[in-house]
Amino acid sequence: MSRQDRALGRRMVIPLLGVLLLVQGYPLAFAAWISFHDYRLTALHEIQWVGLAQYRGLLDNPSYWTAVRNTLIFVSGAVGLELALGFLLAYALYRPVAIQNAFRAILLTPMFVTPIAVGLMFRFLLNSQLGIVPTALRALHVEIDWFGPDLALFSLILIDAWQWTPMMILFLLAGLEALPTEPFEAARVDGASELQILRHLTIPMLRPVILAAVLIRMLDAFRVFEYIYAITRGGPGERTETILFHIYRVGFLYFRLGEAAAMAIVLGAIIFILIVLLFYILRRQEAPA
Amino acid sequence: MIGVSRPLARMLMIPRKGLAAQRVLSRGLHFGLLLVAAAGVLFPFLWIFLASLKPPAELARPALLGFWPTGANWAEVWLSSPFPRYFLNSVVVGTVTVIFALWVGAPAAYAFSRFRTGGTALRFLILAAQMMPPALFIIPFFLMAYYTGLLDTIWAVAVAHLTFIAPLVTWFLISFFEDIPRDLEEQAMVDGCTRWQAFRHIVLPAARPGLSAAGLFAFVMSWNEMFYALMLAGGHSKTLPVAIAGYWTFRGVELGKMSVAIIAAVVPMLILSFFVQRFLVRGLGGGAIKG
Repeated sequence: MSRQDRALGRRMVIPLLGVLLLVQGYPLAFAAWISFHDYRLTALHEIQWVGLAQYRGLLDNPSYWTAVRNTLIFVSGAVGLELALGFLLAYALYRPVAIQNAFRAILLTPMFVTPIAVGLMFRFLLNSQLGIVPTALRALHVEIDWFGPDLALFSLILIDAWQWTPMMILFLLAGLEALPTEPFEAARVDGASELQILRHLTIPMLRPVILAAVLIRMLDAFRVFEYIYAITRGGPGERTETILFHIYRVGFLYFRLGEAAAMAIVLGAIIFILIVLLFYILRRQEAPA
Repeated sequence: MIGVSRPLARMLMIPRKGLAAQRVLSRGLHFGLLLVAAAGVLFPFLWIFLASLKPPAELARPALLGFWPTGANWAEVWLSSPFPRYFLNSVVVGTVTVIFALWVGAPAAYAFSRFRTGGTALRFLILAAQMMPPALFIIPFFLMAYYTGLLDTIWAVAVAHLTFIAPLVTWFLISFFEDIPRDLEEQAMVDGCTRWQAFRHIVLPAARPGLSAAGLFAFVMSWNEMFYALMLAGGHSKTLPVAIAGYWTFRGVELGKMSVAIIAAVVPMLILSFFVQRFLVRGLGGGAIKG
């Protein structure tokens, strides 16, 4: 590569780096700075350096730990369910079936819908007075309070699965379609059953795609906000309070920006680890196997 | 590894007719599974569409299917509410953000795909930048918008959307540029173009499908985004997701109008998504997963 090319390359990258510095680098540094200060929107003239106090405060803040717990349940429940359903449906779409393309197009639509609309649609469908689902179930003498204390978090997981299983289908189907055919033909000639092939060939060969899809979905699920904003606002009690919603509450409803920033930095650190993992998997996938 | 005699054994134990029946059964199950899933996806849309046609009194009785459809909700949302304004806000935010993101992202993606400028570090930075949670940036953005007087304008939302749209577009485009044969620009350079001219006049036009796929997907992402829009804008500067949320608050519910607004926000994105779907896996995986 010539010296000229290298110089041109640098010039072509600089605008993007400039933008990222402005909209990410600077805000990130600002957020870190705020997290070390007692910074309240209601007292902007009395900003005080408090060091790590707000981080230490998180450790014995029960609401924060409830939010962490809820988020972990939500992320693992939603991504697990999406992986199971997504694999089943991707496999069903992969094998020849009538009106395959129509099924494919329909099954992918939810991921393009704005999440607040998904939240409100299901709030409506599952509402105990106005909703068609509880009404239909009542006709069968089944009484389910979808957003009551026992089920609210689970219902949010179901809603997330409705919207994001398509993302899993998309990735797994692409992975299935990219598989080489020879090993499968060989296995069939050897008389392996469909299930044996699935267990010993398909799933191991798909592993990198599965891992990448799971990580991308986890990264998204960690910032769930719209369903909670649309339906439960963290309730009943704190049953559906997630980290992002808690940050919103502390920062924008209680105006304690310093404390909210400290929580955001911790969340950012967790997410950063997941991003490093994802990057590693994508790179390894790219290298010729 | 796997016994050769297995199909023979199976054939001996199960008569041919049984095997055929089994196959029909499994094919039926297979079709049925997809049918149930498709119904599950379509039912909420159908129900919302019906709700948009119901007069308010009928909405309180969910089991009722037989109702006299009315266009009142549609007329009210589109003709005598600020909803068209919010629709326009979303269009402007998405368009401005995407055009700017393509403008800075396309050269960067090209430089990376051809010269490996910045190497692994840059590639990681681009991935990390599009994945970082909005919670990290929202507090500084709120204060910056407050101090610059941009709070409660759509421009604050557009700048905030740039945080994930710019790296997203770049990440998408890297994989598309890698698919464009290098001979194309080398030929142009033999003919006397500079490298930059070759990029500008040969590579960019050739990459048009990739550019539009990346741009359309980024537009959908901006259109659907609510967290930043909720914190940074309000009043006349609301975008669609925030406006939709306003139909069901502690102050009251307007299900009919909410349904109209949801359809208006969702249908254009579903149409756009058809053009994007087949590029999506490759784009999101940064070229690592073949679609």
